Amino acid sequence: MPYLWHTAYTSYYNIGIRMSDFFKYFDRISFVIMLLISSLGIVLIFSASHSNPSNFALKQTIWLLVAIFIFFGVTLVKTTSLFKLAPLFFIATLFILVIQLIFGHFTAGVKSWIRTELFNIQASELIKIPLTLIIAKFMTKIDALSWGNLFRLLLLISPAFFLISIQPDLGTAFLLTSFLLMVLLLKGIRLSVLFTILILLSAIIIISWNFLLKPYQKDRLISFINPEQYSQTIGYQVIQSKIAIGAGGLGGQGYLKGSQAQMKFLPARHTDFILSVLGEEFGFLGISILLFLFFLFFYRQFKIRVTSDENFYYCYLFTGFILFQFLINVLMSIGLFPIMGVPLPFVSYGGSSMITFFIGEAIIFRMKLDYYST
Amino acid sequence: MFIEKRTITAQEQKRIATISTIVLISIFAIILLAFWSIQILKGKDFAQKALKNIYAEIILKAPRGVISDRFGHVIASNRLHFSLFFKNEQQSKIDQISDKHLSQIGINRSEVTSRLSYFSTRNTHSLIPIRRNLPIRSVVYIESRPELLPFFQIEIEPARAYPFGDSGSHILGFMGEISSGELERLNDLGYSMGDVIGKSGLEKQYEHFLKGNKGKQSVIKDNQGTIHGITEVRAPAIGATVVTTLDFPIQEQVEQIFKDQIGTIAILDLKDGGILSLISHPNFDPDTLSGIITTEFWNAMLNDPNHPLQNRFTQGQYSPGSVFKLVVALSGLSEQLITPETTVLCTGSVSIYDRPFRCWQTSGHGYVKLAEAIKGSCNVYFYQLGKKLDVDQIAYTAQQLGLGKTTGIDLPNEKEGIIPTKNWKEKEKNQPWFPGETISVSIGGGWVNVTPAQILHMVSIIALRGREPNIHLVKKIEKDGQSLFSYQPKPNNCTIDKVYFESVIEGMWRAVNKEGTARRTAIPGMDICGKTGTQQIISKENPSYSKLVHQTKFRPHAWFASFAPRDNPRYAVVVLVEHGGDAGEFAVPLAHRVYQLLQYRDQNV
Repeated sequence: MPYLWHTAYTSYYNIGIRMSDFFKYFDRISFVIMLLISSLGIVLIFSASHSNPSNFALKQTIWLLVAIFIFFGVTLVKTTSLFKLAPLFFIATLFILVIQLIFGHFTAGVKSWIRTELFNIQASELIKIPLTLIIAKFMTKIDALSWGNLFRLLLLISPAFFLISIQPDLGTAFLLTSFLLMVLLLKGIRLSVLFTILILLSAIIIISWNFLLKPYQKDRLISFINPEQYSQTIGYQVIQSKIAIGAGGLGGQGYLKGSQAQMKFLPARHTDFILSVLGEEFGFLGISILLFLFFLFFYRQFKIRVTSDENFYYCYLFTGFILFQFLINVLMSIGLFPIMGVPLPFVSYGGSSMITFFIGEAIIFRMKLDYYST
Repeated sequence: MFIEKRTITAQEQKRIATISTIVLISIFAIILLAFWSIQILKGKDFAQKALKNIYAEIILKAPRGVISDRFGHVIASNRLHFSLFFKNEQQSKIDQISDKHLSQIGINRSEVTSRLSYFSTRNTHSLIPIRRNLPIRSVVYIESRPELLPFFQIEIEPARAYPFGDSGSHILGFMGEISSGELERLNDLGYSMGDVIGKSGLEKQYEHFLKGNKGKQSVIKDNQGTIHGITEVRAPAIGATVVTTLDFPIQEQVEQIFKDQIGTIAILDLKDGGILSLISHPNFDPDTLSGIITTEFWNAMLNDPNHPLQNRFTQGQYSPGSVFKLVVALSGLSEQLITPETTVLCTGSVSIYDRPFRCWQTSGHGYVKLAEAIKGSCNVYFYQLGKKLDVDQIAYTAQQLGLGKTTGIDLPNEKEGIIPTKNWKEKEKNQPWFPGETISVSIGGGWVNVTPAQILHMVSIIALRGREPNIHLVKKIEKDGQSLFSYQPKPNNCTIDKVYFESVIEGMWRAVNKEGTARRTAIPGMDICGKTGTQQIISKENPSYSKLVHQTKFRPHAWFASFAPRDNPRYAVVVLVEHGGDAGEFAVPLAHRVYQLLQYRDQNV
């Protein structure tokens, strides 16, 4: 513990970079892209919820400002300090998740243990940051995945996965599998391990389908395959989302004029299906612009140059995570993936997710700064 | 290609970045193609579906046409009531409504779900009618609770109003929700599920004229069914006005005279063939029947031993009893088997085919001619006549007098009754006709079965000396000052000679005015002619007759068929009191009061 305090203390006095270098090498383009995407999100949130008395667009604007503020705060912290502090943060957020779970049992349906609006930050979002840091560090110590390494990796991910999935927030929990995927892609896996896993996985799928999944969860998966059959019930969301996107055509129906969005046929308009609002009101052109911005953003983050291996792994893990979430949300909106509550990064309404992404990105921005200023 | 546990070189970083870029480009290209397919290639289809989502047509119910009596008194009109609808979009969330709310509104969950499942067979409805005529207390309860508003909608709709309550309920009939059978049959006429349609009486008979034309409203609605704008309106048009021949002040008076006995009284205006008044008791309350009624309530109505829904005038089938002697007399006269002067000795009973047949007057009537036989309703006279007659000859005359067939009155589901012939018996009963049965038929017993409407028809033909009275209820139908229909009488005469009618009428006149069986009807100056009928439910030969006859259900039906005045007849009146007792005692005095009314009417109208 004294060691951790020392780390925190020194990083407060020594931010490890000269302010002139900070302004010189700060990745302005990526930052502007992030701001553009987030601002477009606010515009869409307004369209999706302006008839709702709780002013989601204004709240999201405040969240964005808070996120930017925290973003710059984080860029001033040395990455080495963050890697050292990561286990502490990890355990703290896990603790909060447990607390949430206990309180959740007392007040059914309550996901966040502090109900005050401004402190309504979900630990299930925040935990991604220390988890990414820890896995990045872990990756520097392994070769292609062996049984032992795989076990240790799962040991890192599973507490968070378990606590989030029993909230129950299956979507957010599912996103954590992106870490496994990234490790697999970057590090490779021993063939014997891979085959055994594939066999085990199919067994798990069969068992969970027959015994573990709740009927409504199964229905969601089925409805994805054949939504028309469930048009009145669970296929409803996909069908309405596709109708909205399709009705947008090339140029869209105009801002605040999308009938599906404005007449509330579109479900979860300001959160999971915000892309459908964009598709309906701004058409294929609007979608293309957003896709282009996201592409540019991912492209710039993936071609990063860094000073250390753990930084490299961190960048790929975190950017990969955003890409994974982005893909699931987009495919879900056009009916190519089962519906699970996965918001569109930076765009969908949600303060916790906005802040988490900005913190995570701040670390990458700092890594870039470190690379160019040395 | 994978990175091992060692420092990553600059080349490796570059290589991985290149691979990532290629992967990124492919992913985004695929996504872009998917959007192209949905938005550009299939965009039009989805745009259509989006429009289908938001546009809805609301049917505006038309008020029904007014029904009035001959003087223009409105007897069926319209009022507005609240109707409770459930929004179909919310069907899956019905469990969210608490039982407390439902009981406060006054409905129960099973009622709502059964309505929803009934309507789910046709998926076109967005609003499903749950309750009509919703009390104002329930309206306020729903409208003041925001959590209920997403589920329910309350509409103000036109509904039937009957200013005279249950008076004349069987003429007017009642309304009810259209059945799937009716919906199929009336497919092209613009009906849809949940519509209210005439179920009986004039409401059914003239449904086509009364229903009016529905209006239409095209609206933009959101997912909750809330309406955000109206794009097009076509106003509903009220149905046509149906003017009946009824005299409703008289109708109301007759309802009072008959009180709560079971049976029917009908008054026909012989000048034009229009029904002046028609009552059939027990009445029903058309208002209670016209909402959305529960199966239990409906079954209770159907199983009521007093059959309140039956219109006894056109649908009740009874033995005519002695009233039928008029038919037998006319048959004997026109077959020239008797003359008015033919004399028969009545000693109180007579033996025919080795079987004793009794007269109701056990001491006998002595020597009687035709007119006296009718006046005293002498059974023996008619037994003797029946012995001479063939049953098919009686049936032919009965047919000429309108029996055994519908009268053609404009009310639905009129019954035909039975006038037996030899053929009929062989076909229906697989037995030959026995001569003894003709003797029973000659005093209106045996298989003979008639409706009061047919008896009114018969007595009217007699009063008019063979001319068809053309019984009807609706005089004309008008809409916006234009006549859509006006009743045209069909001139028709029966083949019976006028002279024979005069002989029978003489007997009917004596029955009233010369101390006959109907003497209690007599009103000075009215010159009433009539024939009584007391139809025994159990035989007088039954050993326990004297004991049983005091029970209501074994008391005889009391008939009285009459007209007035004798020359240039003006009115025909038929009275039937089910289990009323002796006709002279129970049916005739009612007719007396009816004729008093009619006399008063003649002096004042």
